[in-house]
Amino acid sequence: MSDVETPGADETLEEYRARARRWLAQHAPAFSGSAREGLSPAEDLELGRAWQRRKAEHGYACITLPRIHGGGGGTELEKIVFAEEELRYDLPTLYFSVSLGMPVPMMLRYASPDVVERLLPPAIRGDDIWCQLFSEPAAGSDLAALRTRATPATRDGVEGWVLDGQKVWTSWAQHAAWGIIVARSDPSVAKHAGLTFFYLNMKSPGIEVRPIRKLAGETEINEVFLNDVFVPDAQRMGPVGAGFRVAIETLMIERYSVSDESLSGPTIEKFVSFAETARVNGRAALEDGEVRALIADTLVERQGLRSIHRRALEAIGAGREPGPEGAIRKLLLGRRRQQIGAVALDLMGPAGAVLTDGLTTVQDFAWSWMDSPGPRIAGGTDEILRNTIAEKVLGLPQDHRPDKGVPFNQSR
Amino acid sequence: MSDLSEMLQMLADQAERLLDDRATGEHLKSLLEAPGSFDHELWKQCAELGWPAAAVEERQGGLGLGFEALSLLNEKLGAHTVSLPLIPAAVIADALAQAGTDDPSAAALAAGEKIGCLAFGEVGESGLPRSPTLRLDNGKLRGVKALAPFAAIADIALCHAATDDGVALVLVALDQPGVTREIMGTIDNARAAATLRFDQAEAVRIDQGEGLSASVRAAALAAIATAFEQVGGTQSCLAMAVDYAKERIVFGQPIGKFQAVKHKLSDIYTDLEIARGCAIDALASVGRDSVTLPAMAAMARLAGIRAYEFASRETIQIYGGIGVTWEAAPQHHYRRSRALALELGAAPFWRELLVDDVFTLAEMGE
Repeated sequence: MSDVETPGADETLEEYRARARRWLAQHAPAFSGSAREGLSPAEDLELGRAWQRRKAEHGYACITLPRIHGGGGGTELEKIVFAEEELRYDLPTLYFSVSLGMPVPMMLRYASPDVVERLLPPAIRGDDIWCQLFSEPAAGSDLAALRTRATPATRDGVEGWVLDGQKVWTSWAQHAAWGIIVARSDPSVAKHAGLTFFYLNMKSPGIEVRPIRKLAGETEINEVFLNDVFVPDAQRMGPVGAGFRVAIETLMIERYSVSDESLSGPTIEKFVSFAETARVNGRAALEDGEVRALIADTLVERQGLRSIHRRALEAIGAGREPGPEGAIRKLLLGRRRQQIGAVALDLMGPAGAVLTDGLTTVQDFAWSWMDSPGPRIAGGTDEILRNTIAEKVLGLPQDHRPDKGVPFNQSR
Repeated sequence: MSDLSEMLQMLADQAERLLDDRATGEHLKSLLEAPGSFDHELWKQCAELGWPAAAVEERQGGLGLGFEALSLLNEKLGAHTVSLPLIPAAVIADALAQAGTDDPSAAALAAGEKIGCLAFGEVGESGLPRSPTLRLDNGKLRGVKALAPFAAIADIALCHAATDDGVALVLVALDQPGVTREIMGTIDNARAAATLRFDQAEAVRIDQGEGLSASVRAAALAAIATAFEQVGGTQSCLAMAVDYAKERIVFGQPIGKFQAVKHKLSDIYTDLEIARGCAIDALASVGRDSVTLPAMAAMARLAGIRAYEFASRETIQIYGGIGVTWEAAPQHHYRRSRALALELGAAPFWRELLVDDVFTLAEMGE
């Protein structure tokens, strides 16, 4: 895998940022903001695919992946810088966040060269979306408790496995061409030891995708039912029984992911501007002590997170691992977005309950508040994140785990 | 590695050794026993090592290592709950440098021959009053400054006072007939605090007509260095609480296995890292001398106050009964966190300063 064709190898990071900014200024407006207004979900997805294709043509899709597969052949820092600049526009990139973030880099590690050559370019161009089939009704934070069975079988002379079970919270499964999945191949050993990892064609017979209606109404997440689904053994990723390790590797692959500073809610500046016009018993809401305390707390937290982010980039640039303090970002921003949403609605009084169709969580406090429980759960609940900080960073002992070392089919 | 960063590292190692040796529980407790306590012997030692000179400019008789050095030393002081008037030396020298005044006080402060204190607070105010009741008329001060750290033992004080043409920043010698120090029992007797009463005390005005902004700059610089003291204290509390949670066994297991305790410790860590981030960024803004300095200092101060107070009170909680005894270590942090939160103006004052500046911050992209 060579990236000798990297343009401007002597380019500094700030020059790269300036180049990315110029490119986005030229290309992004036709795919963002007013360009997305009034689009149906299907039309927005098509716009997203077109944007992904445009990025791929110019080396901005999968920036760290080799150019030979359609990636950008760039560095980790360039990827972060481009993501920061791209976040300045309201672009339809969400459809590809899982697909390109985890399954595609994992395929590059585990699939054979001919499979990589066949499957990666269409994924990077946005033609094929990949989903990640991990969570189950009985396996959320405790992924290793999953129950979907993988049973050895031979079909039409092909050795493989038959999958039976149910996955849940699968983002974009309704559009996915391919998926990666972890299933239980041996229930007679301890829960972490009996799992095996595969990739599978989402159009395989026996797969049924049912959208989940979230409390905020959107439908990017799904239940996926697997009924006698055959997967050739050639589509196994890693050894039999190593599925948990491969799954953790998948979750760790993005060692530094970029999120905006208000976690897809309105910015604090937008809240301040709003508080200038809102009234509490005839007085400007911005003069209210509780409102001012919230603004100050948010600014303090944002500044601390900016410093952590800047130091993480310095570490990555110097070839070091970023510090563990990056782990606090989602924990803080998730709660903060929920709180700011609630206070903004308080200031609107009874009219705060209005939900206007077509507005996004970034634009509108009501939608932001409505949709704010999700981010506090997805990708690690607040509680799991705190446990992780306590155990991995502070070195406290692990929780009591009664199922540890017990064969899966004998644990309660 | 540059010469400067090597110097800073040496300074930090030296401070760690000296303070480890000096700040024993017994010694710290002896300082709590009497109002206005101060460790003169340690002050002499650290003056010989050049600590008060660290952030003072070379042309003023200092080492010119910048506020980075002061912050680093203060982080060590905070971790050991040791009180030394390094901040007043640096901040008074900065005020003199800003004014372009060639006052010999800077050199005396850098050498540790003189001790400074910062006295901006007034009775009945949460923070630094915009219209001080302390008056400066014809070079003489009249009025009162509220409890200020090191005022019990300082030779000179930096204050702000009202004049006929606005606020003045003044330097006043404390060993003169017109000055009375009132030393009282306080939450943290080791801060060597005193109330200062002035009655026709001679003072030198050292701002150049911009007394209020010069005062805000002085308070902001002090707040940033204090934030590092608070970060150091928070870090010590966290280490203490984590160690205790691993050792203390109840119901057959270490209390650190319980999520109620784990999550509390994780929350302390979170506040600590936010405070550290704000302090680092505020320190960086000192060099840039930007218009955002007061707001950056406010964020460092608010985050420092919050982190240290949360950590110190919850460390006692994790210790349980033993935590409320005189003998146990957490009390030093509990006292110090509150003392640092009140000196230099309390959180409500800095919060107002920050929120008033919110759009300036946004414009500057800070």
